Amino acid sequence: MFEIRTRWGRILLQVVVTLLVLPFLFPLVAMVQGSLAGDGWANYEAVLAVPGLWRFFLNTVVIAAGVIVLVYIVTMLAAYGFGKLRIRGREVYFWMLLVCLTLPEVVLLTPLFTTAQAFGFFDTYWAVILPIAALQVPFAVLLARNFVQGIPDELFEAARVDGGSVINGFRHLVIPLTRPIAAAILIFTLIGAWNNYLFPLVFLQSPEMQTITLVPQFFVGQFSNDQTKILASAVIIAIPEVVAYLCLQRYFERGLAAGAIK
Amino acid sequence: MAGTSIAERGLREKPAPAAGGGRRSRRLQPQGLHWILPALVLSVGLIYYCIWYTAVISTWDWDGIDPNPERVGAENYIRIAQDPIFWKTIQHTIVFFVVTFVLQTALGLIFAVLLHSKVKLAVVYKVIIFIPVVLAPAITAPVFRQIYAPDGQFNSVLEFFGLGFLAQPWLGQESTALAVIMAVTVWQWTGLTFVLYFAAMGQIDQSLLEAARIDGAGNFRTLIHIIWPGVRGTTLALAILSAIGALKTFDLPYLITVGGPNYATEFLGTYIYRKTIPQSHVGYGAALSIILLVLALVMALILQVRGGEKRVVR
Repeated sequence: MFEIRTRWGRILLQVVVTLLVLPFLFPLVAMVQGSLAGDGWANYEAVLAVPGLWRFFLNTVVIAAGVIVLVYIVTMLAAYGFGKLRIRGREVYFWMLLVCLTLPEVVLLTPLFTTAQAFGFFDTYWAVILPIAALQVPFAVLLARNFVQGIPDELFEAARVDGGSVINGFRHLVIPLTRPIAAAILIFTLIGAWNNYLFPLVFLQSPEMQTITLVPQFFVGQFSNDQTKILASAVIIAIPEVVAYLCLQRYFERGLAAGAIK
Repeated sequence: MAGTSIAERGLREKPAPAAGGGRRSRRLQPQGLHWILPALVLSVGLIYYCIWYTAVISTWDWDGIDPNPERVGAENYIRIAQDPIFWKTIQHTIVFFVVTFVLQTALGLIFAVLLHSKVKLAVVYKVIIFIPVVLAPAITAPVFRQIYAPDGQFNSVLEFFGLGFLAQPWLGQESTALAVIMAVTVWQWTGLTFVLYFAAMGQIDQSLLEAARIDGAGNFRTLIHIIWPGVRGTTLALAILSAIGALKTFDLPYLITVGGPNYATEFLGTYIYRKTIPQSHVGYGAALSIILLVLALVMALILQVRGGEKRVVR
């Protein structure tokens, strides 16, 4: 965007960016440094040796995977419907969906709590998967609909003229062509599911159902506020997400650039 | 001024995204209601059910267990209107929204422009800025509790720069706790603002920029007259997301300061939680929830209308 012609200008630009990024890097460094303070790597060993940690990890993976699969299927179907098919009162449905974006999680607590108990969902994965997915879907549909709308109509018409059904249009056009935005949706959904704190806190009560976002708080009591172990557990929790983001980073950017909110 | 007119012409000429194609192709389109049904059932079904349920509870005086709650009509709402802590949370939300939105927009925009300008190792910067978005508040909260502790790194940095007299217990006093929560929020969410701006800037017509340069516009004028108007839609969408995000704020204040000290970082979300779960005033919490929902909708509508003729969410 900016055009820098001189060599000094370019160096200055680099320095400015670096200085601006430092405050963002600082807490990350503090996190890793703090996790290695005192006993060094032994902090990590202590965290990994905590009974049940792998179980918490597994719970989070199951929940995140469940949410991602559910959100992906539901979103892609809806994006095709909203983007390329004829629906009477389409915008009304779309706005009904967008209203869900304004709803904070706390509002869902009481109704879901009583409902989950009534249906026997309480303390199961579903009690967390369903509400997280329900809250993620509107944003995902918003992203994906824009993207699907960007696919030329001619492609779908050609597919229909060739005798393809609506379902074929979905399978052979929507699914493969939406891969970049799917990466963005995957990242956002993963972040939303992996990082969720409130729903597991309230809906998962038994110790073997806990998720890893509850682990640092759990250490606050367990190690009588041993910061180094808390930070070590924070690093361990963060690694899978950071790796997932790094792997999908390029698709993610392309997807946002092509669809996204404009 | 040449830059402005070129930018405006360029925007007007940009074809609006076809909402499902022209009229002729629309008639050919197959019926699609059943394609959107799963999403509607899951989100609209679940969430609207919860809203309705919450609205009903909000007229009860209920502890969450009593099978025969007392119906009290609008009493919860009347009590909220007279609740000083409620007004405090509203005040915090407004300050929080204005400060975090302005800072995130400025930083996100600057990063997006600079990283579009042939900076070396741009990917590294991008990743560093975005990683906070990926991290759970549950992960970062303990880090910031330590950084802003009286013997934490923030005070050390101040001392290092000879500003030791500014060192203070940032989270332990009413005057600074909210500022820390806002700083952490900006740290956490600037990455998202940046990524969306970065994506939007990639769509600005390069020939517009070149034309402006030929007209003699410098970097700064290009930014104001071409780039800023070019990403206006993103700014509006981000304003709506930030406003709703401010109303929804829960994780960071709850995990860093638990709404304290003395309600200095209490937000609607943390207050609803405090009332509903630890204090078991479920009816009161439900009434607060309904107020929050109404406020969020009103904010979204105002910003949408103020956005003018250009649709924000497309």
